[in-house]
Formats: sequence, structure tokens, C-alpha cells
Amino acid sequence: MDYPIWDVTVGGGVLMGIVAIAHVIVSHFAIGGGLLIAVSETLAVRRGDSQLRELARRSSFALILISTVFGAISGVGIWVVAGLIAPGAISALIHNYVWGWAIEWAFFFLEIVAALVYFATWDKISKAAHVMVGWVYFVAAYLSLVIINGIVTFMLTPGQWLETGAFWDGFFNPTYWPSLVLRTGICLMMAASFLLFAARRADAEARSRLTRFVGWWMVAGVLVSYAGYRWWEAALPETVRAMFQADSPLITGLNATRSMTLWALAVALGLALVFLVALPRAARLPIVAMVAVAAFIFFGSYERLREAVRKPFLIHSFMFSNGLGIDDIASINENGMASVSGWVAAAAEDGQLAFGRQLFRTQCAACHTVDGYLAMRERVFEEAEDNSDFLMVMRAQGDYYLELENGQIAVTSDYDIPYMPPFVGNDEDIEALGAYLATLAPVAETDTQEAGGE
Amino acid sequence: MPIDLVPAVDSAGLPGPAWLFHLLLVFTFFLHLLFLNLALGGTLLAAVAHTKSGGRKDHPCGALARRLVTMNSFGISLAITTGVAPLLFIQVLYHQYFYTGTILIGGAWFGLVGLLIAAYYAAYLYKLKGAPTTGTGGGGWIWSAAIAFLLIAAIHVSVHLVHVQPAKWADFAESGWRVLLDPTFAPRLLHFVFAGVGFSALISAWWAVRQASRGIAVELNSSIAAIAWKWALWSTVAVVVDGVLLLMLLPREVLLGLMQGGAAVHIPLTLGILGAIGLLVMMARVHDPVKAASTVGGTLHGMILVVAIMALTRHEIRLVYLQPTKHLQSFTVASQWFNFGLFVVVLLACLGVVAFMVRRVLTSPAEGSDAA
Repeated sequence: MDYPIWDVTVGGGVLMGIVAIAHVIVSHFAIGGGLLIAVSETLAVRRGDSQLRELARRSSFALILISTVFGAISGVGIWVVAGLIAPGAISALIHNYVWGWAIEWAFFFLEIVAALVYFATWDKISKAAHVMVGWVYFVAAYLSLVIINGIVTFMLTPGQWLETGAFWDGFFNPTYWPSLVLRTGICLMMAASFLLFAARRADAEARSRLTRFVGWWMVAGVLVSYAGYRWWEAALPETVRAMFQADSPLITGLNATRSMTLWALAVALGLALVFLVALPRAARLPIVAMVAVAAFIFFGSYERLREAVRKPFLIHSFMFSNGLGIDDIASINENGMASVSGWVAAAAEDGQLAFGRQLFRTQCAACHTVDGYLAMRERVFEEAEDNSDFLMVMRAQGDYYLELENGQIAVTSDYDIPYMPPFVGNDEDIEALGAYLATLAPVAETDTQEAGGE
Repeated sequence: MPIDLVPAVDSAGLPGPAWLFHLLLVFTFFLHLLFLNLALGGTLLAAVAHTKSGGRKDHPCGALARRLVTMNSFGISLAITTGVAPLLFIQVLYHQYFYTGTILIGGAWFGLVGLLIAAYYAAYLYKLKGAPTTGTGGGGWIWSAAIAFLLIAAIHVSVHLVHVQPAKWADFAESGWRVLLDPTFAPRLLHFVFAGVGFSALISAWWAVRQASRGIAVELNSSIAAIAWKWALWSTVAVVVDGVLLLMLLPREVLLGLMQGGAAVHIPLTLGILGAIGLLVMMARVHDPVKAASTVGGTLHGMILVVAIMALTRHEIRLVYLQPTKHLQSFTVASQWFNFGLFVVVLLACLGVVAFMVRRVLTSPAEGSDAA
């Protein structure tokens, strides 16, 4: 809240979504791929199956090029984007979970070294030693998921941490185990999606056999994912489920996302059973591509759902999506945003519109752009007073949060606008933001240009 | 009274004493510097060597370029992996400054991700599609990788300069490009570049000397060693000259802070300067590296030590820069000793597995049906 704001045309949330979804697809492939490659090579060595070993070799090259390069860098990219658009939240996470991240880094280091050694030593060391390196890679990669899963799930369901502030209370939160099961299934699905393409490059004779082999992994991945997903939904607090699952979901679009998630899973299962397991000879390129697309849609939809149901929070019942904490509400409502943010105070010296613009950037721009995603221009009133009235309502919503007992989860489904953070500020702030928002209204454009605003 | 733009310290506090995080930050940054030198300097040197060879792999410079990119298949990966740890610890200690620094040049900082991916893939493309594999060509790929790494280094220098100067944040908020006008920007960047090239050249010389001493491709390795040694020598000369210039261009209050900083600042700075001059003396005495294998090895060890000292010096200089806002860094401490202990155990276990794995790999040659 007291950081400067990085203006992103597409919106910070959209940018984070793009980077994060690209990263999670690759990182889950890196883990599942490690398992499938290690199993494939182990079986190949035991059975003397040269085609299966070739499948492992071809896939390991992709593992290096995609996972250790794109996966590792996009992982850093998530930190980069989080630091740019939500510095307060990433700071809170890091200060609570730095040792978790440090442990994950140790596994990540082992994972990368094992991946590089594995790829570089094909046919240069004994097969037994090579298989061992493959298993080291997988175990290290999976353990990094075991750790990071605790931090990711903490953000949606911090559980007892809200009361105790204890590391392990937040780590083993209510959705930790369901999410671990779900992500294990997703790892298998992502890996199988890729290995299907690698299997197609095998000799015609071996192609069906390898396709069926990978197909079973896809089926297993879908079933484990389904079990994990259902368990995850059941473990969510009622107020979170109400966002997308009730008879009248609070965000109807999310209900559609949930449907897409489950239908994509069903399609992946159906295609895998029919074309990969039962009729592998019929698994031509378009079919294989459809299986992979269904798997990606499932994963992407789930990630979208998981991110969206956290609204209006970044860390549920602790920090809002604009970086303001529940603990900040009372003092800022009394003293104004300028009392806690030098950047807002500096803008206030440049006049009311500049002040209002900075308040918009601080409190609204985490979700809204001016003209693009969730465009503010389409949501404002022409009159400053009307905007201010709305902000008053949103400020009053903050009173609900002030009534929360220590450790109590916020039941946002009871609120007027459950997915939006309250407005936090004093009357002067409301007046300035209301005036600025009025300049965004389409009919006020001429006036705004004259005023040197937007 | 000017408005204070420095954000408040995170209320969660530190999950361990501050000295522990300072130690971890400096140590992991030192590890990162070793591989960063290879990624940045090695790729630049490979690009120059490739050009000097006319793009042919049978030329000694072409062979040097091939070795550098082969080494960097590991070097770049490990530069990224080891870079994650100091990135984590700097956020713990300096989040108010670091996040603000990155936000004020947000476009460039975000662009770093794309540049890193481009640099890595371009280096791979050179290795797989250029002279190292096909015997000729690929100059465009290796130069693309080198330029991308150079830009990445420039972005890192920019973030560093912005985050340590809160007094200039209002200016940077108007235009992040103003960081390029900082008098220390160019010498800081060049310091990284020369150090990286010198370190990579020295590693290449050491490896070539080692190979030649074992009787492997003696003529080629002797040529590579001589070329790389010359690069290491002149790059180190440039590092020393540039370092002196950088010291002179530091803001007056920082320079005064360094003078009055006590032993914690004086000792590493003095050792760093003396160490670099010592390296120069050692290098200048060697005319044929293959005949002075022990000096080459000693110089490499010396350079690693100097890199460690410079990592500490850089950290101390950051503290001097931030001295005026020290009152804003009063963390509460809520130590998580069990979790720290778990981290140490896991890290040691992982390092143990790496050692076991490498040993097993080195002692398990492919035989009979295992061989390709």
C-alpha cells in the first residue's frame, strides 16, 4: 500500500495470470515428466526395451530445454511480477515463509543439477547409474512441489495461522493435502500430454505400445486429479465455495469456469480411454493434440478458479488484493492514505486530481485498468458526488472486517459486494478519488483533457 | 520537511536474526557471482572468440568458443538457480528498497525475464545449430545471447542504483531512464563485464592447461591456454582501472561513509583491491601457462577468493548508501530456529546427494552394452 505503483496496460492480475499459468504448466510437466522418464528408463533397462528407452531419451531433451530453462526462468518471473504488482503481499509471504522457500530452493538446486547430469550422461555412464540420476531428479522435483504447495495453498486457506501466526499452521492448512493430491494428478497429466507427442516419433511398430503406455499414465493422472479436485472443493470454507458453487453463485462466471474445469477433465478421460488405451493405433496427431488441449484447459481453468475465489484477498482474511491489510483499515479510515504512504502524500501536494489518481492506483488498479481489463471508465459515474457515495458504501463494508475476531475467517459471501476490497480512507480521500473517477466518465473526457488529466 | 517515500518495514518481522540473513545474502550472492561471471563473461568471450575464429570450430578461438558454450549449458542454469537464493534474502532484508527499485523501472525489470529466456535459448541454438556442432556459423545466435546478457546486467545495475538511493526516487518516478545518468552506472556495468570475462577466461585457461598437462590435444590446449590467459590478464587490468574510477565516482557522502565505516568496510575493500593487484602480478609473471600450471591453479583460487571479498564489499557499500535511512530498518525478530535448522539439514542432504551422484557418475563408465 505504501509502495509506488507500476502501471500495466493489461492489468497486473492478467499479467500475473499469463506468467503464472505458463510457469505452472511447465513446472508440473517437469515433475511428472521426471517420474514418467525415470519409470520408462527403469522398465526399459529391465526389459531390454530400446524403444521405451528412446522415449525417455527424447523426452529428457525436452525436459532440459523446456523445464530447466523456461520453467526455472518463469518461476523467477512470478517473483518478478509479484514484486511489481503486489509487493506488500509477496513481502508478507516471504517474511513468513522464507525458510520454506529456502528449503524449496535446496530441492530446486538438486533438481537442476540432476537434470543437467541426466541429460549429459546418456550412454556415457552405466545404465544403472543413469537410472539412479533420473530418480534423484524426480524425487527432488516432487519434494519442491511438496514445499511450494504449502505456501500457495496458504494464500487461499490460511487456516489456524490467522490466529497463531505459526509457520506450520499456515503450511499444513485445510487445502494442503487435497491440493497436493490434485497437483500430483496434474503433474501426470502434463507429462503424459507431452510424452504422447514424443511417443509418436517412435517406430510404427512400437508407437501403439508406447501410446498405450503413456495413455495409462494420462488416465491415472485424470483420476487422481478428479479425486484431488473434489477433495479440494470440499475442504474450502463455505464462504469461498459460495463464490462459484452455490445455487446462485456470487460470481456467475466462476461457476462456468468450474464447469469447464470438470468437463475438460471428462473429455481428457474419455479420449484417453478410447484412443490412447483401447485403440492406440487410432491416436493420430489431432487426437493427441485434443487430449493435450483438454488437459491444459482443465489445468488453466482450475488455476483461474483458485486465483479468483480468493477475491477480495491476496491472503484470505488478512490482506486484500490491493495490498491493504485488515489491520490497516481503522487507522487509515481515520488519518487518510497519505498518513501511511509517502507516494500518496507526494501526489496530494500536486492537487486533488493527482491525489485522486494516486488513490486509484493504490486501491483500485490491482484489479481495474482505466480502459482495458475491468475498465474503470465503464464503471464510474459522471458526478463526483455519485462516485463518492459509492465509495462511502465501500468504506462501510470495511466495518464488517473490523468486527472480525482474531483468527476468524471473513465470511465475505454475506457482504454487499463480496469480491471487492472495501475502500479504505478518510473523507478527504473519498472526495479526491470521487473527483478523479468522475474525470474518467466518457462525457467528461473533454473537461479532463483541459485539466491535463487522463 | 521532504516527504519520506520509503515504505514501512514489513510488520511480520524477520524469521531469524538480521546477521543470519546478511550472512546468507552475501554467501549466496558470492555463489551466484561465480556462475553469473560464466554466463555473462563466458558468453561475451565466446562471441568474440567465435568472431575471431571466422566461425570455424577447428580454429583455437573457435574451440575456445565451443568450450565456453558447453560449459555454459551448466553455467547459465546454475547462475539462475543460485540467483534465486540472494533474490530471496534481499527481499527479506531490503524489501522496502528493493521492491521500490524494481517498480520504478518496472518495464525493464519485467523485460529481464524475456531477455533471460532469449539469452539462454540463443546460447543453446549456437551450441546445437552453430559452429560447435555443425563446424561453422551461428555467430548471430551467440552475439544475441551476449547482448541479452549485457542488457540483463545493465538492468541489475539499474535496480541496484535505484534501490540504494531513496533520495532520488521522486526523480526516478518521473523517468526510470534517469538511472542511466548516474555517474557510476557505466563503471559499475563495466566492472561486472570485465570481471566476468576475466573469470571465464581464467577458467578456460586453467582447463586447457589441465588438459595439456595430461597430454590431451597438447597443441590445441596450449593455444587455447595462451589466448585465454591473455584475456584474463587484460580483463583484470580493466577491472582494477575501472574499480578505481568507480570508487572516485561514488557520491561524496558514500565515499565519506566508506572512509569512516570502520573495519567492517575497510578490511574487505582493502583486501579486494590488494587481491586484484596480487592477481595481476601473478598473471603478468606467466608467459606460457602450460609451463606454469601451479601458478594458473593458484591464480584461479585467488580469483575465487577475490570474488568472495568483492561480494562482501558490495554489500558493505549498499549499507553505506542506505545509512541515512537506517532508522527505517528496525525489524522485529521472531526467529524460526526449527525451520532454519530444517533448511540447513535439507541443504546439506541435497549437497550430499549431489556429491554422491557425481561420484557415482564418475565411477560408473558405460561398458559393453551400456555404451553408445
